[in-house]
Amino acid sequence: MKTDRMSLLAFPARILATVDSLAFLKQAANTMKDDAGREIGIFTEAVKVSSQNRAAFLDDACGGDENLRRKVEALLSAHDRLGNFLEEPPLNEPY
Amino acid sequence: MTAAKILVEGDKTGYACRGSLGDKMSDATLLITAANAGDAKAAGELLVLVYDELRRLAASKLAHEAPNQTLQPTALVHEAWLRLVGDQSRSFNGREHFFRACAEAMRRILIDRARRKHTVRHGGDYLRVDFEGFDLAAPASGDYLLALNEVLDKFALEYPVQAELVKLRYFAGLTNAEVSEVMQISVSTVKNYWAFSRSWLLNEIESG
Repeated sequence: MKTDRMSLLAFPARILATVDSLAFLKQAANTMKDDAGREIGIFTEAVKVSSQNRAAFLDDACGGDENLRRKVEALLSAHDRLGNFLEEPPLNEPY
Repeated sequence: MTAAKILVEGDKTGYACRGSLGDKMSDATLLITAANAGDAKAAGELLVLVYDELRRLAASKLAHEAPNQTLQPTALVHEAWLRLVGDQSRSFNGREHFFRACAEAMRRILIDRARRKHTVRHGGDYLRVDFEGFDLAAPASGDYLLALNEVLDKFALEYPVQAELVKLRYFAGLTNAEVSEVMQISVSTVKNYWAFSRSWLLNEIESG
């Protein structure tokens, strides 16, 4: 009985915590006003969001701006493939 | 016009003979001081001086080291600082202008070298000159660098601050902490901008 009541209490708390952190991230992303700043802000926060919460975060942060969303999604996909890109000094690059 | 002049087309710095190391040191210190005071001409002259010095250092290092030897821009930049400024005036503002000049100079040096190699490989052999042994031990093709430079120019149109950061971080080999000092932004902002810039540039190179 006791554990049931605990899990009932814990469940909404977890939801609230998720909503809360999304709201916080969204707010942080929106503090940069101009377009470039907004794109960088959303990208920066989206990188920190787990992959299963990313779509919801982007829905929220891009607010229906499909163009912005496509740009950020392309950047996130590139981010996943970065590897060592630009981390080697140019004089050592295997070019 | 000499072949060397043709090969560095677009670059107006030239290679005027300069005086002794002591002269160069006082030149650099004066130019940095003037650049700090907002003198754009002095900033331009500082770039010429730094370009000249870095090119000489890079050439002599590349000529004397084995082909796969590690050559760090960051080491060249710090050596240039010691040679041109000495240790005595490590002031924050001076470093800022100096590092910015180094980043731009290193970019030009590497791009000039990559263009030269590209020209040579595409039937422009008659233009080959001995560039202070610059070609002797240099890495193979610079096409990768040319592609990167092209997308970096495009990036700079939309994101000038972040493009500046890429130059400092990549071409001058500065650490996040040094970039933070030079650009007067926090280290975490440097890291965020760096991740964004790398992603943007990779995406652009791959889709281009």
